[in-house]
Amino acid sequence: MKTKREFIHNLKELPRDELLAPGSPLCAGCGGLLALRLLLKALDGNVAVVNAAGCMTLLAVYPYTPLRTSWLYTTMGSAPAGAQGIRDALDVLIAKGRLPREEDLRVVVLAGDGATLDIGLSSLSGAIHRGLDFYYLCYDNEAFGNTGFQMSAASPYGSRTATSPATPLQAAGTLQQKKDLFEIWRSHHPPYAATLSTADPVDLVDKVRRATRLRGPKLFTALAVCPPGWGSAPSRGFEIAKLALDTGVWPLKEAIDGKVRHTYIPQRRRPLEEYLRTQRRFAHLFSPQRQEDVLHRMQQAVDAYWDEVQRHEMPPR
Amino acid sequence: MLRIRFHGRGGHGVKTASRIVGTAAFLSGFYAQDSPIYGAERRGAAVAAYTRIDTKPICERGAVAEPDLILVVDETLLADPAAGVRVGCEFASALLVNSGKEGTALATELRLPCPILTLDLTAVVLAVVGRGSAQSAVLGAAACALAGLGPLERVLEAVQRELVELGLEADEQARNLEAARRVYADLSAVPARPRLPASGQVELHRPTLAKGAASRPIILAVGNAAARHTGRWRVFRPVIDQEACTRCGVCFALCPDGAITLDERAYPVIDYENCKGCMMCYQECPVHCISERQEVQAW
Repeated sequence: MKTKREFIHNLKELPRDELLAPGSPLCAGCGGLLALRLLLKALDGNVAVVNAAGCMTLLAVYPYTPLRTSWLYTTMGSAPAGAQGIRDALDVLIAKGRLPREEDLRVVVLAGDGATLDIGLSSLSGAIHRGLDFYYLCYDNEAFGNTGFQMSAASPYGSRTATSPATPLQAAGTLQQKKDLFEIWRSHHPPYAATLSTADPVDLVDKVRRATRLRGPKLFTALAVCPPGWGSAPSRGFEIAKLALDTGVWPLKEAIDGKVRHTYIPQRRRPLEEYLRTQRRFAHLFSPQRQEDVLHRMQQAVDAYWDEVQRHEMPPR
Repeated sequence: MLRIRFHGRGGHGVKTASRIVGTAAFLSGFYAQDSPIYGAERRGAAVAAYTRIDTKPICERGAVAEPDLILVVDETLLADPAAGVRVGCEFASALLVNSGKEGTALATELRLPCPILTLDLTAVVLAVVGRGSAQSAVLGAAACALAGLGPLERVLEAVQRELVELGLEADEQARNLEAARRVYADLSAVPARPRLPASGQVELHRPTLAKGAASRPIILAVGNAAARHTGRWRVFRPVIDQEACTRCGVCFALCPDGAITLDERAYPVIDYENCKGCMMCYQECPVHCISERQEVQAW
């Protein structure tokens, strides 16, 4: 079940203008790059991107940039602070009459899950707390992808990363639970927070457009299929992102002033195993022995989540 | 010391190949050091990896500028100055190119000051391992054969150790081992052997830093990355049959790089200079009007 879209209803209405030129050194089939491309389409230009170190570090490699927007590069932990600086500078210039109001820019922080949930969490928390008027896109590939796919606070339980390999002592690979970024954000009471998927570009653009009407922090996290890190063919990116939605492991939702609404509720969820089997980072759960306990625990976590959604958002049958 | 340099594109497996050689040397009782370049190791981007082998501890670090052996997985890299394939090739006793061409033809074309060997590693991988597989096993085996590391069983043990570490399934390991066995056998008869020179002197030098405006990393152009031509990364080329196309816009929406644009009649057009060949469009086209063709040059 999908909710009604407000601003865009089908792919034919996707804006034609490209704010992202081809030729970036990001991997073929990069889910994060696709999320960024679609988000920029929704924002219609006049954007300053503030980039935390991560995979997107290589977006602009001197003297080349794929962006047709401004770009500021910051350390992994300080992108929201960089956004504050740009926002303040623009406000001051406009107030002094040195910049026409129509040349104002939307400030967009671009950061991976590592920068968002580990190193940059305090800077981000501070910016939301101050009510900074900005957009935040977290491309969540569930590890530190740029440096060789080491575990981050977004790596899911049961996945294998370079620093949480499946070993006899730690057969599940990653033992920790993925931090819930959406709920961390919501606890800060921002005007807008949402999850995005590249498997639903219409939903993605619709949400970003809806957020443009609001002032303050507008926060987005997109599941970013990472072919080299997840161990999947680049061509299967859409299929994997779609399975994440249909198995329910990546819920599509938004929170306007804290009130949560799911924008896609799979009526009959597919077994999580179908998603896991598409990626080598979960292969140890099936071979050489099937790890029934780990698989059961992962499926249960998804089921428990949707039971809760059912209780709160769905009318009783 | 023996210095080996591998050139390829991210995903070809040059890092693993350098580790295979390092492990094979270690198992043979040598000191060994292997490392990839760090920072731009994207799938499809030009990457390099190094292996150093010696009978005593290795103190030399960093990129190999005076290689005894150079192995190139993708011949399009030879035309890319940024890939640095030719750096120090005057020191090399052989440069092996993964190519279906004759070595002599390539030698005339490239005019390099070192012997050129060719072997179609891709053909072996496609035939034995399967499509879309990395070339680490065959490349590692090729380097071992040229460097004189052996016997075959020890080389295969090194290959297997590295593949296990990558988490390959047993049947994938077996196919890779078979491919490695073939390549090792093919190259064992090659006369070109790297010389084993004495250890080179390592010189430290003080970096000179530019001052002021010259050193500020500011890019004033917009969207100029298209000049990088990432289309060279491609293994397969997506081709749209415009007659069958329904203009649904799926390929346009899903291209991560924005390499597909819509013309004035809303038909999709692929920018082949920059399409990286992820083949998502081919996979997802609802009416299957996109076909794939193997590129001749790459792989």
